[in-house]
Amino acid sequence: MESQRVTQTSTILTTKKRRLLTHEGRWGLLLVSPYLIHFIVFVVGPLIASLYFSFSQYDMLNPPNWAGLENYEKLFNEPLFYKSLWNTLYFAILFVPTQAFLALLLAVALNQKLKALKLYRMAHFIPVISSWTVVMYVVDAIFNPRFGMANNFLIKLGLEPQRWLNDEQLVIPLLVLVAVWKGVGYMMVIYLAGLQNVPNELYEAAEIDGAGTIKKFKSITLPLISPTTFLVIVLSTITTFQAFEQIYVMTGGAADITEAGGPNDASLVLMLYLYREGFSFLHMGYASAIAWILFIILFLLTLLQLWGQKKWVHYN
Amino acid sequence: MKQHKSFSILLSIILVMVIFIAGCSSNSSTTDNESSNENDTSNSEEEQVTINLGFYSGGESDEKMQELIDGFMEKHPEIKVTTQSAPYGQFFQKLDTQIAAGEAPDIWLSDGVLVMKYAERGAVKDLTEWVNRDLNKEEYYGLEFNEDTNGKYWGVPQGIQIGALYYNKDLFDQAGVDYPNEDWTWEDLKEVAAKLTIDASDKKPGDEGFNSDNIKQFGLTFFSITEGWFPVLKSYGGGILNDSLNKSIINSDENKQALEWMVDGMSRGIITDPADLKSFQSSMAVFPSGSAAMRIGIYARVLAANEAGLNYDVTVLPKGPDGERFSPVIANSWVINDSTSDKKAKAAWEWIKYWATEDEVQKEWAALGEAVPVKKSVANSEVFLNASDKPENREAFLESFDFAGTLDTNAVWSEWVAKFNEHAQRAFLKESTIDEALENADKDIQEIVDEFYKE
Repeated sequence: MESQRVTQTSTILTTKKRRLLTHEGRWGLLLVSPYLIHFIVFVVGPLIASLYFSFSQYDMLNPPNWAGLENYEKLFNEPLFYKSLWNTLYFAILFVPTQAFLALLLAVALNQKLKALKLYRMAHFIPVISSWTVVMYVVDAIFNPRFGMANNFLIKLGLEPQRWLNDEQLVIPLLVLVAVWKGVGYMMVIYLAGLQNVPNELYEAAEIDGAGTIKKFKSITLPLISPTTFLVIVLSTITTFQAFEQIYVMTGGAADITEAGGPNDASLVLMLYLYREGFSFLHMGYASAIAWILFIILFLLTLLQLWGQKKWVHYN
Repeated sequence: MKQHKSFSILLSIILVMVIFIAGCSSNSSTTDNESSNENDTSNSEEEQVTINLGFYSGGESDEKMQELIDGFMEKHPEIKVTTQSAPYGQFFQKLDTQIAAGEAPDIWLSDGVLVMKYAERGAVKDLTEWVNRDLNKEEYYGLEFNEDTNGKYWGVPQGIQIGALYYNKDLFDQAGVDYPNEDWTWEDLKEVAAKLTIDASDKKPGDEGFNSDNIKQFGLTFFSITEGWFPVLKSYGGGILNDSLNKSIINSDENKQALEWMVDGMSRGIITDPADLKSFQSSMAVFPSGSAAMRIGIYARVLAANEAGLNYDVTVLPKGPDGERFSPVIANSWVINDSTSDKKAKAAWEWIKYWATEDEVQKEWAALGEAVPVKKSVANSEVFLNASDKPENREAFLESFDFAGTLDTNAVWSEWVAKFNEHAQRAFLKESTIDEALENADKDIQEIVDEFYKE
């Protein structure tokens, strides 16, 4: 039986050179074909199409016209593009470290043996599953400049009321605050999984050697969960660059698309800019160019992170 | 042999999956027009023509539309109508991609401000010949609002929105002020509005310690182009584009005067500024919630005001300094897909005729209270004028047709409106001067218009 199989595989190996695909290869291809078809039709196709559109004038209602580098030229001369790029980066700079840090803090706290632990974990996960529209109502109850609790509180303390989301300086930090509140539960769960993979023996050994809580955290926990931290940072970076719905809803885009990204374009991020140009103004070619620039930026950022990980991420 | 068999089983499973996936993608269109399959078969048998009709809607109007379509099919057994509808935002977002994919409905309901967007990009049919042949133009409101600068008709109105001045009678009574009348100028309005403005500590403008940053009740609320700055600019003699809709005329003294009127009102707390509006769930909510004594509003706003149970009425919009008046119009219209076959286009035109000419259809639709009826005879009849709901003075909407005009709508309307809003808001919030705002808006809008019309 055993030897039979060995001879079978060896004959396959010899015929491999002659045929393009082995029997097993065909099977393999067949088994992945549903995904492959999906991938080619719905991912590769649109990708190529959008690359073509980015070099043409395309209003969706008429066939695209080849325009060469015109869209990219316009893009690099457009102050609004740089402003939205900066807004996106600003958002990321505030969001990524804050969320990672808070998620870790929460995960460590909820990795203890506390009473009603499941309840705490669940409580932190509720914002994750709520829709942005619902979140917007909660945020409005707090930060509405006229009726909100935040301003009532400030007034009671004898301080100046703020315009919150209508304030050019405050809008991005405030959006980040809400995004962290909504997203931290998800990252916390990832961290919890990471924490639970740290072998207990290491802590026990360290205790015998007389290490304190902080020392244990610094020398055991942090290095061992560094792959998780890496994952969290890459994931949050990608989320910020794709942030759309939150800003769209919270800055009033649902009522009027031209309002989204306000006040005075202070929260206009790349995705919103892309959406507005493409779907409201029918500059699909230009919007495709923005999309490709966005892709290149994200690609470079991820490469940078992958390169950087060698310095601080430890895989066993 | 055995392996072969399992291989072919797997192959058929995958085939089924592929068909399923393919089915999913076309699924959305079959749910849109549930009866399309059945129509296709009957189509070949009886020389029937099937048209797909798209419209944006909400619950109640959806039902009524279906009723009217059923009535149409009874009258025209040779035409089958399948429908697709969605809420406003989704409808137009989907429509653009549908047109791109050649899958758009044969006929659809277009927002009045978007007709030219489709017309000038060649997405809808020129209806001039048919309009001239089949419709007596004298009988309708709003046909001229779908006419382009070359006199071509691109759509036939489904319902008309026209602006008027709404006022809350209770708030006027409380302040002991006379209701607005037809002789008012914008200056008169502001004077009265000041008397109706109340800050958080119940002080009025002019009282000592009045805080214009914390207003409880505004004299006037306005926002957006339609229900705000455009009618004011126009009645001051200004405007955005020239008659051929390809040159900006923004940087003018008239516009400056009008903007000064607005900015002054806003800085005194009498008129809602963009920051004030943000503190409401929606800009439209200010008047129905009783937080403003007056508003500039189109006809459809009676729905929200009635729902809120306001004691209110309407009158024509005030005059400018030279006695000029202007009322903004949006003629939501039926348009026919340019790439549809002649046969289907003809059937679609039958629907338009049915909609516009049949009194019964017009009355049924008018009863929903969403728009001023297109047919003058119906608009001037009891059905519209003496509807049981408020406002009492519905004639005001009809009188406004004497000085009505479109919003300078051209192919790039949404784009230039966004630019103007941006600059105007800066002036409204005193982040820039009025001169700067007009100058920049003029430059940016000319650029947008040039880009589209350069060829």
